[in-house]
Amino acid sequence: MKNKLKYFYSYTPLIVFLILVLFFARQLILKEDPSELPSVLIDEKFPSIILSELEGYKVFSNKNLINANGPSLVNIWSSWCVPCKVEHEYLMSMSNNDNIIIYGINYKDNKAEALKVLDLNGNPFYAIGADQDGMQSINLGVYGVPETFIIDRDGNIRYRHVGPILEYDMEKIILPIINKIKQERL
Amino acid sequence: MTTIIKFIFCFFIISNSVLADNNKAAYELYKELRCLVCQNQSLLESDAPLALDLKKVVRDKIELGQSKNEIKKFLVDRYGEFILLKPKYSIQNILLWLGPILFLFIGFFVTFVFLRKQSMYKEEPLPLTNKEENSLKKILDNNVS
Repeated sequence: MKNKLKYFYSYTPLIVFLILVLFFARQLILKEDPSELPSVLIDEKFPSIILSELEGYKVFSNKNLINANGPSLVNIWSSWCVPCKVEHEYLMSMSNNDNIIIYGINYKDNKAEALKVLDLNGNPFYAIGADQDGMQSINLGVYGVPETFIIDRDGNIRYRHVGPILEYDMEKIILPIINKIKQERL
Repeated sequence: MTTIIKFIFCFFIISNSVLADNNKAAYELYKELRCLVCQNQSLLESDAPLALDLKKVVRDKIELGQSKNEIKKFLVDRYGEFILLKPKYSIQNILLWLGPILFLFIGFFVTFVFLRKQSMYKEEPLPLTNKEENSLKKILDNNVS
């Protein structure tokens, strides 16, 4: 009996090691980015924000999100933000090919520069509002542009994407959620 | 005339002390809040644009007379508990707060079991047999001579 117990004790380092392996493997395999924060606003109403006009474009306001016909995206972008430029192409594709309504929040930007980007690269947005001092976006919990929120028919936030939407994100994350919302209450 | 001067003087002293209190409250809050861009720095240490904006929010709210807890709640409602550098004492965080104590007790327990086992195994050495006694004697005698 005593011998058996000793036998077991000699395995403790191995067992502890295996537990550690499992613990680290979880992080490696899941590939969750620990610096990416989950939004606390998921399943909450889109907070009320007041945005200013970008000359020549419809102003985005909370009214747009109330009693919407379908799901929509709210994209926070800026002309000085390089990942936003990468993302632009996919926003255009979703707006043109998938008929998704996208609203833009122009974050802490020079309006002339913002207009130039829209002229040059095309406008994926149904309406745009400018948040010049960044204070409105704080209500949204924005901590780095670009960020994108998926809003359902009732104006609730369903998903938040931090960082640029790339092809993978569009095909595997954004569009499936949009399609799921579209199928609700039809 | 002197009363007016005295009045103005008092006004400045009072307004200055209010300002100092506000600055102190803001400074304390900056230290307790996390910059979400450079995530292990506090707002106080960070010069990231978002940190500057959040500092402005904190300062504005203090000037409006909001308490530290109100301001913290405002930010937690928007950014989540992660913005607090010191986690709350809550059920979800129980392992985080009590974990070290738990591990300390596990350590104590293991040490206790180990020491007790050692003392249990400590046996009196067997007395020497006649043969051993003789050979020992021989060795000792040889060394002496």
